[in-house]
Amino acid sequence: MKSETDDLSDVIKLISDIKHKTLLSSHDIALSTEKLLVNLISHGNWSSALDLMELIRRRIKCLSQSLPMEATATNIMRHILKVIREEFEVASKKKGEAHSLHHIVTGALSNILDYSESLTSLKAALLDHLSEYKTELETSAENIAAQASEHIHSNETILTFGSSRTVKMFLKSASKKRTFNVIVVEAAPLYLGHSLAVSLAKSNIQTTVIADSAVFAMMSRVNKVIIGTHTVLANGGLRAISGTHTVGLAAKHYSVPVMVLSHMYKFTPIYLGSNDHDTLNILANPATVIPYSSGAVLNKADIATPMFDYVPPELVTLFITHQGGNSPSYVYRLLSEVYHPDDYEI
Amino acid sequence: MSKKKEVVMKENAVQAVLVADTFGEEFTPITKDVPLCLFPLVDKLLIDYTLEFLSLGGVEETFIFCCNRVAEVKLHINECIRKTVGWTLTMKVHIIVSESCHSFGDCLRDLDAKGLIRSDFILLEPGVVSNISLLPLLKKHRETCQVDKGAAMTVLFQESGLGHMSLCPEDEALVAVNSNNRVLFHKKTYKSSQKKVDFPLEMFLENSSVSIYHNLKDTHITICSSSVLPLFSDNFDFQTKDDFVRGLLMNEEIMGSTVYCNILRGTDYGGAIFNWRTYQSISLEMKNKFLYPLVPISKIGKFLNSPVTTTSLVKNTEVPRSSVLLRSIIGENSTIGENVHIQDSFIFDNVKIEDDVRISLSVIGPNCVIKKGSKVTAGSILGEGVVIDESLLIENSLVQATLDDNVQLEDKIGEHAFRLRLEEDEDDIELDKALAKRMSRLHVYDLVGEQSEYESDATFSESEEELSHIHSPPPDDTNLFFSEVIDSLTRGFDDNLQCDNLILEINSSRYAYNITVKEVNFNVIKAILIMSHNLPEGTQYFSSFAKLLSYFTPILRNYIKNESAMMDCLKAIEEVATSDFQVKDKWVIFVLKYFYEKDHLNETEILKWFDTLEPKSTVHNQAKPFAEWLQEAEEEDSDE
Repeated sequence: MKSETDDLSDVIKLISDIKHKTLLSSHDIALSTEKLLVNLISHGNWSSALDLMELIRRRIKCLSQSLPMEATATNIMRHILKVIREEFEVASKKKGEAHSLHHIVTGALSNILDYSESLTSLKAALLDHLSEYKTELETSAENIAAQASEHIHSNETILTFGSSRTVKMFLKSASKKRTFNVIVVEAAPLYLGHSLAVSLAKSNIQTTVIADSAVFAMMSRVNKVIIGTHTVLANGGLRAISGTHTVGLAAKHYSVPVMVLSHMYKFTPIYLGSNDHDTLNILANPATVIPYSSGAVLNKADIATPMFDYVPPELVTLFITHQGGNSPSYVYRLLSEVYHPDDYEI
Repeated sequence: MSKKKEVVMKENAVQAVLVADTFGEEFTPITKDVPLCLFPLVDKLLIDYTLEFLSLGGVEETFIFCCNRVAEVKLHINECIRKTVGWTLTMKVHIIVSESCHSFGDCLRDLDAKGLIRSDFILLEPGVVSNISLLPLLKKHRETCQVDKGAAMTVLFQESGLGHMSLCPEDEALVAVNSNNRVLFHKKTYKSSQKKVDFPLEMFLENSSVSIYHNLKDTHITICSSSVLPLFSDNFDFQTKDDFVRGLLMNEEIMGSTVYCNILRGTDYGGAIFNWRTYQSISLEMKNKFLYPLVPISKIGKFLNSPVTTTSLVKNTEVPRSSVLLRSIIGENSTIGENVHIQDSFIFDNVKIEDDVRISLSVIGPNCVIKKGSKVTAGSILGEGVVIDESLLIENSLVQATLDDNVQLEDKIGEHAFRLRLEEDEDDIELDKALAKRMSRLHVYDLVGEQSEYESDATFSESEEELSHIHSPPPDDTNLFFSEVIDSLTRGFDDNLQCDNLILEINSSRYAYNITVKEVNFNVIKAILIMSHNLPEGTQYFSSFAKLLSYFTPILRNYIKNESAMMDCLKAIEEVATSDFQVKDKWVIFVLKYFYEKDHLNETEILKWFDTLEPKSTVHNQAKPFAEWLQEAEEEDSDE
């Protein structure tokens, strides 16, 4: 096979960029993944859809091995796999006869498409689609922010946790039309909430910073919780920065709606098993919690500082994507729109 | 285009130099077959972590000095490049073979001769792992260099706590820096047997602020100016980095070079494996994620969560339920039998451990076989391919598989097991040295070890306390002052000297011994009163006592000026009355009456003092009539 000459250097470059923190936000990662795919499609060594899909699959495997927590890049590649299938179908249909009703109903032969067939129009179609997809990625945050005034009303109190770029844009967009208060939970031990609070205060939004422990006390006067997330899991649960679960539980207790802002590339077709909590998490440097200079205590202690919380779907009221709002129970449907079921596990 | 870019990059490339081998015998016998940089560290090899750190830190070109088993290292590096491991994209690695080098300093002299280093560079001692970002530190070093042209080196330290496992006693150092982070003083406290450290006085005179640290861990990472290499070449006696730092500090004026330091705090971590103890501490810290984002990939190594195997790591190895692992790391493809107990130990790859084996505080090299019922304990190190026969006890010894010059025939334990005698070979086995060897092996966790450590701490602090007692100024000086006052007064009284001169004398001694005003008052009165003991007994006693007091009236007037001084005076009376000297029954009442009549004391202070006395004490009883008389007098006054 031709893919044997493929050296994966592009994806290793991407991994190294993520590790070196030259790509920090998920948005940057998304854009450079898209660029990688454009390169692969236009200059890659493939002649049929099957070859191309194999090339992408190998990249997904490589990524998920070296960066098991990084979902953005793999999700985008997974989405492109689905796009390839669709484009291939369209192209092959144009070439041959249209499927008869009989074929669609019985589905006997049409399901098994021969992807190894080489189609000249495929490359151009894919590149077209990718440039469209690129604009979708670029405008995704703006589209989400544009819905802000539908969700935030005047004189409401909004609680948010940590710092999310999307949430920041969302709140700032709402502040153009409405006046409201924002409570920012600081999110120890990284205290990303502080930077968000500073940024909000600069754009004249009434902002209050509270400690993580004060979440429950403040929740009774909150109208809405609006947060970002790291990934959305297949059941509608979240993998979000640690501390989010507490916020979700407090909101549930006071029946405060929890809205999660998410780009489509954060929807991940994986489920959380009861024993998977360790594999779905990153244990970060314990020095943020207990300083290295504390001495003899550290000789015997095992200190775990998980980066993420799992938030079960029942604590989430609404997901807001660039397409609009969806409830957690609808996530499975969104996933099947974005990815092909055969590509869920690679 | 890309070629051009490469050339540009090469000119400004950030360079690092890693000396891969320690030149001592810290890791024998394992280093006979495995070079230090290929030691397994949790789930990868040490060199993999070092190179990943350099690459993530922003280094673009690395030179590795290899002296031991070069071919294997080369093979490994080429394998990494072939597999395009993460660091290969952003960093070039050159291996420099230097078999003629016998020390760290030799390597740097060799490097200087080759002329490969173009500007400032990162210098790593053997076995470094870290997670710090080097570029900001390098920038800071350059800024320092612009201010101080002589800045040769920035040493990186990490703030650590006393009693921390990673603070290896061999590496313990006392560092003094000024406000610009310039190192003024650096001393390895471990090497000297003295318990005292002398700081040069100029250090405090020349600098407005000096910080002295004793809780620093040397990360063994330094940022060097290009002047470092020529300095090594010029000074043939520099063998290690410590020699270099010491030499530079000692001859600062002659060489015109200075050393700076940077103290890492927060999530920054740096450390080096240079003996078994640091190997152990860094393994455990890596497992505890202190080196995040350099962490073992959990998919490859699986941490066992059951309570019997707390914090142990096992790779590709089945552990039967009857076996217990504690704080240990087991290499790949090993087999562990039933009822095995492994504690605080490191097992390398392909080791076969049979049933009922006990291993504690030991390192088992690759391809070893430990047969049924054996015990390997107390800092034993087994080299590659050692076979321990059934039911043997290996305690605190180094064992290697082959016979060579270092081994005598009587040290044969088995077909493939020979005991190495490193310590005994040396003629003068000092106790300290033996201890050093022991300490450089694994850190002891169990209670006995901890206790002994605490004990040694306790004895140290005790001796310190003694010292402070002998040298502590306050009690001594007061006593000296007191005896001097007595001398002056007796002499003055006997020779009929002017009281003014006596006051001058007392005041000068007061300043000589740095005594507070209160103490002066107290001691002078006490001295005068004590002189009464030398007066002849008999009926004449009180009249001569009155004569004595009247002689000293100017002194009393001088010192008893206000209420608090009166209280001091009363306290002195109390002290003398209760002292060992036998005082006459009426002594207290006489003194009080005299002082009252001569207006040295007023009634309120006397009554106040009387209230503080313990009822039924001798002084209380003696002073009581006088106090009652005073009270009556007062009432009469108010009545009128």
